[in-house]
Amino acid sequence: MSTPTQTESTSQPTSARLRELWNDYLPYWFMGPMVLVMIMITFFPGAYDLYLALIEEPTLNVFAAEFAGLDNFETAFTRGGALHSFVVTITVVVSALLLESVLGFALAAFVAGVESSRAKSFYRVLFILPMAVAPVSMATIGRIMLNSEIGIIPYVINAATPFAAPAFLSDIPLLTVILLDTWNWTPFMFIIFYAGLSSVPDTLLEAARVDGAPLWRRYVHVIIPYMKPVVFVATLIRLIDLFRTFGVVYGLTQGGPGTATQLVSINIYEQMFINNQITVAAAIAIVYLVLVVALCNVIIAKVGFEGVWD
Amino acid sequence: MATDTVPGSSQRLDKDTRETLVKVVRHAVLLTWSLVVIFPFYWLASMSLKPPGEANALPPDWIFLPTVYNYIQLVQQSEFVTAFANSLLMVSASVVLVLLIGVPAAYVLSRYDIPMERDVLVWILSSRMLPPIAVVLPFFIIFRELNLFDTRIGMVLMYVSINLSLVVWVMKAFFDGIPETLEEAARVDGATRFQGFRKVVLPAAKPGIFSVAIISFIFAWIELLFGLVLTSFKAVPVTLFVYSFIGSRSIEWGMLAAASMAMILPVVVFLIAVNKYLAAGLSFGVVIKE
Repeated sequence: MSTPTQTESTSQPTSARLRELWNDYLPYWFMGPMVLVMIMITFFPGAYDLYLALIEEPTLNVFAAEFAGLDNFETAFTRGGALHSFVVTITVVVSALLLESVLGFALAAFVAGVESSRAKSFYRVLFILPMAVAPVSMATIGRIMLNSEIGIIPYVINAATPFAAPAFLSDIPLLTVILLDTWNWTPFMFIIFYAGLSSVPDTLLEAARVDGAPLWRRYVHVIIPYMKPVVFVATLIRLIDLFRTFGVVYGLTQGGPGTATQLVSINIYEQMFINNQITVAAAIAIVYLVLVVALCNVIIAKVGFEGVWD
Repeated sequence: MATDTVPGSSQRLDKDTRETLVKVVRHAVLLTWSLVVIFPFYWLASMSLKPPGEANALPPDWIFLPTVYNYIQLVQQSEFVTAFANSLLMVSASVVLVLLIGVPAAYVLSRYDIPMERDVLVWILSSRMLPPIAVVLPFFIIFRELNLFDTRIGMVLMYVSINLSLVVWVMKAFFDGIPETLEEAARVDGATRFQGFRKVVLPAAKPGIFSVAIISFIFAWIELLFGLVLTSFKAVPVTLFVYSFIGSRSIEWGMLAAASMAMILPVVVFLIAVNKYLAAGLSFGVVIKE
């Protein structure tokens, strides 16, 4: 940001005028860069994906482009396996979201109940640490620990239980992905829920306790309703981020074996760089983009951000 | 056996027994999850400290002489050093840039009456909803035209795109929590609106800025896709280095573990440093206090 003070030495009147301009239109200067970047990262990619999805050959020259109608969409959903990848994505997103919310809430509630404040902060810090692991490192850990030959987890299962360990990466790849993501991102839900639980006023809890309500009823009727905005926001943001999942799956299975773990994001990536079909990739991308944004906006409109907005 | 001979014990537990039971279950769950959390870290760390050949021995050598051999090998790989330095540089630059763009905008959204403020905020949040693969596809084509492909500047811009919505939302929430009377007092003393922002509001919002900076750093640091699509050699981030390491035919497990540790440890330190404000930052400012 260039402030008028820089021109101060050259000419007094101009600098005074600039300073006035700066202060009078401050909100515009402050908002301007953000709005420009936002347009560049929302409207531009959306429009460009749509343009690419509707033409035959990728070209920057709009006038030379040949209109392809819905051909690219047809290719995407017939030979491109788009539908399958949408099913895989929804499976991963829904299961991981459920697991992470329930586990995150349970852990938050248990930690909140710990009496010793030192033990409490110990657990609080320990339980956020898995978030430090980048998805691609998560894939690394998965490959190291779950490998059928050298992995410690199959080894322990085989040695200590009567069951034979499954081949995590080839027999149950989707479940493996979901469990790895759960380990990685339950901390996200945990820390937000924990903060939400701590914000429940003691008076409210006391009143419920005096009523003689058992613990679970206190949660269902008093604590969770009070925390509704927190639960909503945590779930919404985790949902949004789950649709962005890429690194853990790409590092672990690259969408395989076959197409068993082919998320939409991986399908698009492969259409682009392996099949070299940018227009088909764009067709899947625009469908994905519209569906995710529409879903999130419907959720926001239905549930609303009560208690979130002032 | 002996326990179910007590008549009526299963129907109604007295209060003390019930509380003890809750306590036992709580500790069992918390200890189990602690183990689940710690074990992968322990395993990765011990693997990175084992001499080659011993790294993936089964049954594992629980007791071994730790060696920094893998780390030395790693640091001698110029690709790793370049990628690590690249990530550090690109991610830090993106954090500075995203704060410069996002914090002033958040201030305006907090203090001024903006028409359709709700819609503007949801629009800002929607930049997070766009799947990165759908965003990166157009930029892949444009970057090649603009000679931004495989450049650090291009990557910085993409990292900004991940975190801008987070910065605006969290900082708006922090600014909302700072009473306006503070700036009004400064303005009565003759400060301009900008001076009020810079000298009064910004210092008061320091914890917010600190936490949002660290969380933005983490989100950019762990990003793989942008590096995969938009870099090939010069601007490779550390995530892509680790990825290509996994892809190589004969994996040197010890070095892979060391590379992963090198990526994880700085983030662990950051998370611990910012843990008080983590919930505020991650919830986009909805939860401000614990």
